[in-house]
Amino acid sequence: MHIPDGLMDPTVSAIGWIEFLVVLGAVLLLAGNRIKEKNLPRVAVLSAGIFVAQMINFPIGGGTTGHLIGGALFAIIAGPMVAIIGMTVVLLIQALMFGDGGITALGLNALNMAVIAPLTGWGVYTLLKTMTEKGGRRSSVAGGFVVGAAAWASVFVAAAACAAELAVSYAVSSGAYGIAATVSVPAMLGMYAVIGVGEGIITAGVLAYLWSVLPDAITSASPTRKVLPGLRELICGNTARAVVAIIVVFALALPLYFLYASAGKDGLEKTMENANVAEGEPPLASPFSYGQDYFSALFAGLLGFLSVALVALGIMKLVRMRGSRGTNP
Amino acid sequence: MIVVHVRGQGNNRLDEHASEVWFGRLDARAKLAGVFAFIVVSAILTRAELVFASLAVALTMTVVSMLPLAHLAKMYLAALPFILLASVSVFLFGGWERGIQMWARTSACVLPLLVLAAGTESFDLFSGLRRFRVPAIITTLLMLTQRYIQLLSEELARMILARKARGFTEGRSLLDWYGLRIISYTAGMVLVRSIGRGDRIYEGLKGKGFNGELMPWKKSHITVLDTSFVSSLVIVAGVLLTLQLGVVQ
Repeated sequence: MHIPDGLMDPTVSAIGWIEFLVVLGAVLLLAGNRIKEKNLPRVAVLSAGIFVAQMINFPIGGGTTGHLIGGALFAIIAGPMVAIIGMTVVLLIQALMFGDGGITALGLNALNMAVIAPLTGWGVYTLLKTMTEKGGRRSSVAGGFVVGAAAWASVFVAAAACAAELAVSYAVSSGAYGIAATVSVPAMLGMYAVIGVGEGIITAGVLAYLWSVLPDAITSASPTRKVLPGLRELICGNTARAVVAIIVVFALALPLYFLYASAGKDGLEKTMENANVAEGEPPLASPFSYGQDYFSALFAGLLGFLSVALVALGIMKLVRMRGSRGTNP
Repeated sequence: MIVVHVRGQGNNRLDEHASEVWFGRLDARAKLAGVFAFIVVSAILTRAELVFASLAVALTMTVVSMLPLAHLAKMYLAALPFILLASVSVFLFGGWERGIQMWARTSACVLPLLVLAAGTESFDLFSGLRRFRVPAIITTLLMLTQRYIQLLSEELARMILARKARGFTEGRSLLDWYGLRIISYTAGMVLVRSIGRGDRIYEGLKGKGFNGELMPWKKSHITVLDTSFVSSLVIVAGVLLTLQLGVVQ
């Protein structure tokens, strides 16, 4: 999944670099102190472990092989923040020492494999884990399924992001860069849907082995964490964090989405135009607009995205509060 | 002493060619600045004649670097699948001229990066990044990770050999559950051993006064050769960019 230099449109590469640096800066700010000194060698050794685990090929069928990406594995073992930093280090070593991936494309590569893959993997794992636990216990089969599904999702979503970046590059450069969506989307999604199955099985196997041999190694698991009261649980709870992780993954797609967005009319507008029906004056006018240029549309999109996410979190909290009232007489 | 411990006393297998050629003896900062400038400009070229000019410069750099061409060709082959996928896709949708141009542009970017990777000792490279103000936490992690990768790769090679000696053959498809279980246990064992080893190395580093940041392992100065190298690459990149932007016709 390593994109080489010269393949992507410069604007898409620049957006990738900006997004990656913003995410990395935020992660270093939030988790930098946690991994300093004592944890530094441990993070390094985990990064090296993931790097070496990537060298182990597994058979896919028809004589082809795939290899582990490890984003979900890293995030489940060490938490999403540490995984983002560790996977970034792995990608930097691959680019600078093996020429695997490029310099201008490093932003996009890191976004796909060091940010999107760990966040998706950890987010899906945390959400499914909560759903499959009954009274704090979960069968090993369900546990394996949860880990496998999280690892599969991490690879598939990262591949989808990569395919979208290639398609956007192709579209905005009129074919000078990137790969056409008709090729990149089916090729990447088809291939990585299968590779993801291998990633899921191997990740589940590795974690089952770690749970049985060295459970202390999985530092992200915190079964004794207290449920915090009220708003603090909404913000700090694991489910809320997992939702935020998934939201961040979607938010990262917005700048590219707006680059690709068509200025044409939607279905209803086109039908109204064909039928010569004019839009009447609304009784209430909104103070906001989607804007005319790229950056104002992007700002409006981010604002809308955040508003919807916050409202969704609020509704989730209300539903949970009503549910807990109903079960506790 | 601390740095030597982290860097390792022996020669790194990946760095075996770096000290043998003039390119390897250049200051890491000069190499990073020159090669990055050239790659960034090469990646944005769209005019066919400029793309082929940048490929010619990249090929010249590859030959002049005096690094073993067979070694570089092997590294290039690893990057080839993605380059070919892009070139063939562009060829199918935009014609053969665009397809070849895509191959030339990506190759013009990949080749200097391979020369940089093969012709620079890893710890020089990371020291160079630190001197360019890359956060210490990242460069220190790069140095430590690189050291651990060597140790764990050797560990993995021994484990695979032991596995083979016991008659294990990798399965043929994703349906081979036994094969996949053994592969995942191997990966798990790599992680378990790496965690144990990491803790021991940390204790060793702490005993030698490690305080969270690794300093560059040797002093280096910018020489006339370094300046000439950076200047020539920056001038070439500048000319290509000027022509691409149409400032000079």
